[in-house]
Amino acid sequence: MRRYFLAAVVFFLGAGLLPGPAREAGAAISLEKCTLCHGKPEFRKLLVDGHIRELYVTADSLKGSVHEKKACTDCHFDVAEIPHRERPKRVACTHCHFKGNKEGAPQSDNVLAYFDSAHGQAIARGNPKAPLCQDCHGSHGINKAKTADSKVSRFHVAETCGRCHMEIYAQYKTSIHGVMLAKGIGDVPSCPGCHGEHRIFKHTDPQSSVFATKVSEQCSKCHSSIAIMSKFGIDVEPAATYKESFHGVASQFGSRTVANCSSCHGIHDIRPPDDPLSMVNPKNVPATCGKCHPGASANFAVGKMHVDAKKKDSGIIYWTATFFKWLTIGTMLALIVHIFLDMYGRTRRLRGEQ
Amino acid sequence: MSRADLASGQVIRMSLLFRVQHLVLTVLLLVLAVTGFSLMYHDNALAQAIIRLEGGVHNRGIVHRIAAVLLMANVAHHLFYMLLSREGKREFQDLIIGRRDIDDFLQSLRYNIGAAAEYPLFGKYGYKEKFQYWGASVGTVLISITGFMLWAEEFSMRLFPKFVLDLALVVHGYQGLLAFVILFFWHLYNVHLHPSVFPMNPSWITGKVSAEWLRREHPLEYEKLKEEGLL
Repeated sequence: MRRYFLAAVVFFLGAGLLPGPAREAGAAISLEKCTLCHGKPEFRKLLVDGHIRELYVTADSLKGSVHEKKACTDCHFDVAEIPHRERPKRVACTHCHFKGNKEGAPQSDNVLAYFDSAHGQAIARGNPKAPLCQDCHGSHGINKAKTADSKVSRFHVAETCGRCHMEIYAQYKTSIHGVMLAKGIGDVPSCPGCHGEHRIFKHTDPQSSVFATKVSEQCSKCHSSIAIMSKFGIDVEPAATYKESFHGVASQFGSRTVANCSSCHGIHDIRPPDDPLSMVNPKNVPATCGKCHPGASANFAVGKMHVDAKKKDSGIIYWTATFFKWLTIGTMLALIVHIFLDMYGRTRRLRGEQ
Repeated sequence: MSRADLASGQVIRMSLLFRVQHLVLTVLLLVLAVTGFSLMYHDNALAQAIIRLEGGVHNRGIVHRIAAVLLMANVAHHLFYMLLSREGKREFQDLIIGRRDIDDFLQSLRYNIGAAAEYPLFGKYGYKEKFQYWGASVGTVLISITGFMLWAEEFSMRLFPKFVLDLALVVHGYQGLLAFVILFFWHLYNVHLHPSVFPMNPSWITGKVSAEWLRREHPLEYEKLKEEGLL
């Protein structure tokens, strides 16, 4: 084995010294040559920061992935000689993944969306920790999001985001959405459900799908859908009553400080109201309201929060609204009748006077 | 009443102070209605345009509250004037609703449908004016209470359960609507569209009406002025 390896090194060093055309012929390096080194399980590198980079790659690494027919140098195209003298650059997926490519990659502009996003902008500013394509999609075992074991599939993507966003992932996992996802229920949102896929922005950026004024819209995508909510016995009414409330109206007109869904229900730590840790558990409501309205009492938390004056189960509010509605209609009709009677009497009076 | 007025057959109906109070009331009610209904009917495109014009939903609230405070000041001033000043006390006497006004109202109805021969004779203020006056006064006080509850929401949240504030919101909105309906179908008719005044009873600007109009519409007041030798 070792002899073959040495022979190969000698052969390729020689090839490097050969004039142009002969070198070109050797440029398409076959898998077997790469695995001469990379095929050893112990092939790894100790980085200056103490991390270990696994460099073990075999013929099976691409198997089953969308790139299984690709050769190493299709992506690592800067490797033209073996062993490569310089460390190969990170793979640029944009080599094939752009709209109009002829390589057979999906025709999509996702890469442009990524460059606009918070992640792409961080990369552009030179942040070495910001993710590139392969940080989320994986390197060799890339699969379409619809494939169950893809790193960006419905059930795995939160874990993938959580590799960097650890605290948020921990919160999410204990939230109702995270718990349900872990139970294999695909209706609940994972990270992209609210934040988007490639077009991810900071929540303080007005372009973000979770910008203060857009949160209720984002939650309503599911929480106003009877088809989805009926599966879990959740009322769709709050989505509509919020829109009609003081908070909802102010939010629709662009207020960023007014309460949206997550101001009261939580962000990544949303829990059902009967959970004692829930922000909207009756026990916690005074404190939750008190974030903006200091002094909200325990008394305030009594009763229903999302009230629709047009529905009978709102009790006294419904009856008051109904009373006023008919009072207004009745007054209007009575006044109109009065006007007509008055005019009729008036003409009689005028006739009498003449 | 000056000699010139009497010579031209004019009678003073609203003194300058009442005209100013009325004008202030008119402007403030319009501001309150525009800012209030634009929030109440925020789904409407016109309402949305108005809110944008007012500088967003936050500024809309500020405009609404400034107008509300000014209106309450106007009402408070009016109240003190009516109770304490000589002119106010006299007007107040004229405005008290008595048994007679109910009878007048019923008799006018009977007359209008042809069941009575005589149309009731009114003093300075007939049942139309009195009902309008007291309706507006009581309505303003009530709408101010619910308005204050919603304005001082932190104070209200300390005292009441949430449904009380929900109720205040519903009542506040409907009271505004009711006031608007009454102004539209009662006051607008009585002072603009009624055949005796069309297109407008000028007294809210000039303070004066013609003695002839007074004789026809408020004959008791006409008689009283004549007895006092003012006509």
